[in-house]
Amino acid sequence: MKRYLLLALAILFAAIYLFPVYWMYATALKTSGTIFKYPPELWPSEPLVQVSRVFAEHDIGRYLWNSLLVASGITAITMVLGTGAAYALANARGTKANIALFLVIVLQVLPPSLMVTPLFVAFNHAGLLDYPRTAVVLATAAKTLAFYIVLCRATFTQVPRELKDAALVDGNSHLGAFFLIILPLARNGILITSVLVFLQSFGEYVYSRSFIATRELQTATVNLATYLSANSADWVGLMNYAGIYVAPILIVFILLQRQIVTGLTSGALK
Amino acid sequence: MFQSGFVKLLRDGKGFEGTLIAAAVLYLVVFAAFPLVYTVVMSFQEVDMFTLGTLVRPFAGLENYTDLFHRPEFTPIVWNTVIFVTLSIAFQLVIGFGLALFFQQDFPGSTYVRGLFLAGWILPALVVGAVWRWIFAGDFGVLNYALQSLGLIDGQIYWLSNPAYALYSVIIANIWLGVPFNMILLSVGLAGIPGDVYEAAEMDGANAFQRFLTITLPMMGPTLGAVIALGVIFTLQQFDLVAALTQGGPANASNVAQYWSWQMSFQTYEISGGATVATMMIALVIVVAVIYVRSVQREHTF
Repeated sequence: MKRYLLLALAILFAAIYLFPVYWMYATALKTSGTIFKYPPELWPSEPLVQVSRVFAEHDIGRYLWNSLLVASGITAITMVLGTGAAYALANARGTKANIALFLVIVLQVLPPSLMVTPLFVAFNHAGLLDYPRTAVVLATAAKTLAFYIVLCRATFTQVPRELKDAALVDGNSHLGAFFLIILPLARNGILITSVLVFLQSFGEYVYSRSFIATRELQTATVNLATYLSANSADWVGLMNYAGIYVAPILIVFILLQRQIVTGLTSGALK
Repeated sequence: MFQSGFVKLLRDGKGFEGTLIAAAVLYLVVFAAFPLVYTVVMSFQEVDMFTLGTLVRPFAGLENYTDLFHRPEFTPIVWNTVIFVTLSIAFQLVIGFGLALFFQQDFPGSTYVRGLFLAGWILPALVVGAVWRWIFAGDFGVLNYALQSLGLIDGQIYWLSNPAYALYSVIIANIWLGVPFNMILLSVGLAGIPGDVYEAAEMDGANAFQRFLTITLPMMGPTLGAVIALGVIFTLQQFDLVAALTQGGPANASNVAQYWSWQMSFQTYEISGGATVATMMIALVIVVAVIYVRSVQREHTF
């Protein structure tokens, strides 16, 4: 009996915590008339689905597409460069490897809002600001790469060394052992970490805001922010926009919740 | 000739792994280490819209630094940053620890319900800021309504436009964002404490509170240290919430260093000022990161 009481309490805590997410969707279903009622309606009395109107009105598809492009680019660079490095760092011993790992961890913590000034000036010299979305991808990947290496390294350390040695004895090259034996074994960890990188990049703001000047190329975060400061009275529209934007993130999260929690906890403190 | 040498290098163990590390490190050097050094350089240069395009800029010595210290907004922003970091971490830690202890108990669905909290961590901070801005709204906001219903306040609080409350509003939203991550890390630490230690203490007649003080807290020491260090690092990265909620206003009342640096570079185009703030903050972050890495490494060597 006590166990079910605890469960009820747990659900209550989660409900209180997740109230802002509920409030976003509840507001999205209200009308411009009911939204400014006080006391506020905790449950929309005349729910109205306005998703398609807001979607068309604000051309949300374009900005979501830009976010998707940027996030895909970041994830691709991170996976290509990060997977091998994480594997090598999981195996390597010695001073050089320690220095490399130390460098990776320290570079991971640099706040983007502080790094954006030198990156902007350097990209300006290099002419990269003419390709603003590429600039965002290149800058953000430096951040996610370090995060990815730290988490994936933990996955690779769990693959028994003997398996690689056995593959080498069987006549595989190091390249072959990596692709045929190690990668398939570490697949789950790699995929979950990549999903985390993708979800983070999908909500990237600092670099997109600073590098992308053309409205058509903006990501959804930047577009939502301009809308937030320009027209803060249209909360129904804003909450619809926010709700559409985070819906795919929440769906992926609910589907992969268990794996995300395990992936995070296995690498975070190691 | 070159190609066969390269392939041989890849097939050989050391060369293969060395190449993998080198590729990633090279990327990080170009896009993270180089900008890092470049910020420090720019903090000693005169950089504005006119010298932006040139490589050789006038040397400014320590002028950027002295100029910064003499600005009227310098001291308030430093204090805001200290308050922002301290309060955010204190509450994230206490709430996160409380929840971790609660979910440590044995009941059905505990892992699943605990995982639901991570939804707050995975959402883009900018969107979280937008939603909180609506929750904080003065006249129609649900937070004021909740506090009035509970009898805690009488009138309306203008959370974001009142200078006395603006910083604390950003802190409240930031605590919300950080709680799940703290809770998950602390849960991992709690799970690492062997159960028989508690059983022995129970047999010796220690009550729950004594067990918490004499076993849980001391054994969680290293985890708590790591979580606090990560908290400082993450809190100093928080930019999106400030941008969505207050933009540092009203009149810098809720401005923090990491936002101020960006404002100078991208809104008032005082790029050397932005670089100078960035240099000092990055130095702080790196010190914390080094302490964190060393404490984690020491923990793994015993």
